[in-house]
Amino acid sequence: MAGLTQLLNVARDALTAQSYGLNVTGQNISNASTPGYVRRVAQLETQNLGSQSGGGVRAVGLERVTNDFIERRESQATGTSSAATTRDQTLASIEALFNDGGGTGLGSALNDVFASFSALAANPNDTTTRANVLAAAGAFADRANATGNTLAQTSIDLKQQAQDGVDQINQRAQEIAKLNMEIAQATMQGDDASDLKDQRTEKILNMSGLINTHTFTDGSGNTVVQVAGTTIVDGQHARSLSLDLDSNGALQLFANQSGGGRSEITQFLTGGKLGGIKEARDKDLFDVSQKLNALVFDVATAVNTQHAAGVGADGGTGRNLFDIGSSSTNAARDLRVSVDVFDHPDRIAAASNVFSTPGGSDNALALSKLFDTQIAVGNSKTAAQAYGDLIGSIGSTRANSQRDVETQGAILTQVQSMHQSQSGVSLDEEMVNLTKYQNAYQAASKMIGVADQLMQTLLNTVGR
Amino acid sequence: MRVTEQMRYDSVANNLSQLSARQAKAAQQAQTGIRVSLPSDDPIAAAQLARLSASQSQITARRSTITSVRGDAELAESSLQQASDLMASAKELAMQGGNGSLGANERAMLAQQVKDIKDQLIGIANTRGTTGYLFAGSATETKPFSTAGAFNGNDDVHVVDIGNSTPTAVNASGAKAFTAAGGRDVFADLDALYTALNTNDVAAIGNSLDGIDQSRSQITTSQAAIGITINKLDASDSVQSALDLQNSKSQSDIGAADPAKAYSTLVQLNNALQQSVSVGKSILDLAAFKQF
Repeated sequence: MAGLTQLLNVARDALTAQSYGLNVTGQNISNASTPGYVRRVAQLETQNLGSQSGGGVRAVGLERVTNDFIERRESQATGTSSAATTRDQTLASIEALFNDGGGTGLGSALNDVFASFSALAANPNDTTTRANVLAAAGAFADRANATGNTLAQTSIDLKQQAQDGVDQINQRAQEIAKLNMEIAQATMQGDDASDLKDQRTEKILNMSGLINTHTFTDGSGNTVVQVAGTTIVDGQHARSLSLDLDSNGALQLFANQSGGGRSEITQFLTGGKLGGIKEARDKDLFDVSQKLNALVFDVATAVNTQHAAGVGADGGTGRNLFDIGSSSTNAARDLRVSVDVFDHPDRIAAASNVFSTPGGSDNALALSKLFDTQIAVGNSKTAAQAYGDLIGSIGSTRANSQRDVETQGAILTQVQSMHQSQSGVSLDEEMVNLTKYQNAYQAASKMIGVADQLMQTLLNTVGR
Repeated sequence: MRVTEQMRYDSVANNLSQLSARQAKAAQQAQTGIRVSLPSDDPIAAAQLARLSASQSQITARRSTITSVRGDAELAESSLQQASDLMASAKELAMQGGNGSLGANERAMLAQQVKDIKDQLIGIANTRGTTGYLFAGSATETKPFSTAGAFNGNDDVHVVDIGNSTPTAVNASGAKAFTAAGGRDVFADLDALYTALNTNDVAAIGNSLDGIDQSRSQITTSQAAIGITINKLDASDSVQSALDLQNSKSQSDIGAADPAKAYSTLVQLNNALQQSVSVGKSILDLAAFKQF
């Protein structure tokens, strides 16, 4: 008698276990496209078939199919790829500013200035020609201002983006620390923490996109998160980062200490959105701004010197064509047509001395000759050469960055594919599992039927 | 290898987006005919293009300078031609005046004609061009010669950039053509002839002949000089025009897309994209669960 009851118990356990399997399969299917979801496998265990125990099956829990190595690789690749993409976005907007082919560059405005001097030499006494010099100088100043201002604004925007990034990092650190705590509690209570672990992995991946991130598991099963070489999540405690500017206006990253002080970790910032911003803002953009300012300063200074040496149609001399500071800092943004000549075409100094006005063209010719004179980059290049170099360097920086984006993107795709292959849900597989558990469930139901029939047979026989 | 649905989606999406990006670029090149539209398309070419376009701007400025000053130079040349003709007429009058059969009245009439010639010559020497008085040096807004023939201008040259290594002077010197700075004061010579005719001084008329001759040859020399300047302008213009052509060709060689190549690349990528879409569709259709 005990045998048949046992069979019923075995069948009952089987139904439970197989329907658990069906549930797990269902969860996998439902979450097939949930970001960060790691496929689960129902873990079934045989119960010993002994004289007292029934030899059935028992569901003991879930397995999250993960691989720490691949997860770390994915985190690393995400950081590098995100840095490259962020940097490239900035470079794209810088490049657009110097797009002479598209008619938005500074080059044609610069060329027009020299061409206007040439025209002035041809017809020094013509008011229209003189007014054209002022117009060309004004257009050059406007274009330089617009370019300089856009670069400066980009730098400000990037700082704001970096601040947003730091805020997000701090937020993520809090969340990860909280998840560490919740996972520890759930594990202690014997609950399944898979969902929480999925969330934690996803947050860490998110963090990797923001900053170079390294993780490891400590002795108590907590995930320790290090960003830019500094521990930001230690077990269930989160620290925070902060951002500042140094005396040159470059970004500085600090790890806030619990005591109140902070230590600089800028030099360890290499990856993620923040790393990309740092490189784009303080290296690429800074470099372009500096070269642009130097070029504008050199051109304006050389033109001023020559212009001041000449004499206007009104007989006045010593006047500058441009207002420019004494150093190249912010030269592109500050460049203006000098108030000495603004709105006064007659003050354009075409002649070289007061006795050769108004028909003298020596100084206009000398001004137009500056085109061929090495006035830029420490008097080693002409303005056109220097501008060409600037275009070339902007272009090659962007081209390199585009290649970087492609390479890092390909690596990331590869690693993501590895991760998917390991932890992703395959619907085909789940379909097979579904059928498998379904069949097993049906077979277990059959077992109940068989046990019932045997019982009936026995009762009928005994009862006769 | 275990292949999941997400991997299929990702790979189809990645391939499509990469192909689309390349196709968009190719379409842009084929449509615009421009290969280097951004510096990063070809940094070296972009730098060269920037320099070429600067050179082109200089060439254009030089050519427009040539066009602009050539008119005045031609006007100066024809003015000097007229001046030279007038001096020839003056010489004829002097020859007539030297004829012993003439009386004082007839010589006085000839003197009046010489005075007319001087007036005309002053008018010519005061000719205005687009840049002001042609023979005034740099004092282009001051009438260079008074009615008496006194010179108020200077001998400054009008220099322009037409691509020569040394600055090229493009104005005719009024000082050298008409005043003592060139050797003879043309108006003084005419005055001498006038006085000689008017005072019926046959000897003085004979003496003035030499001065009139020298004055004429001085004007002719100036005319030749401005003629040479015009030749220089023309020569420079053909040089600049050749440079212009070369520059445009270089710009197009460096920056333009080869139309045949651009088109065939585009067609190729269009086909690849279409194929990729249909392959992607069949990959996504593959899922086994649809068969259950």
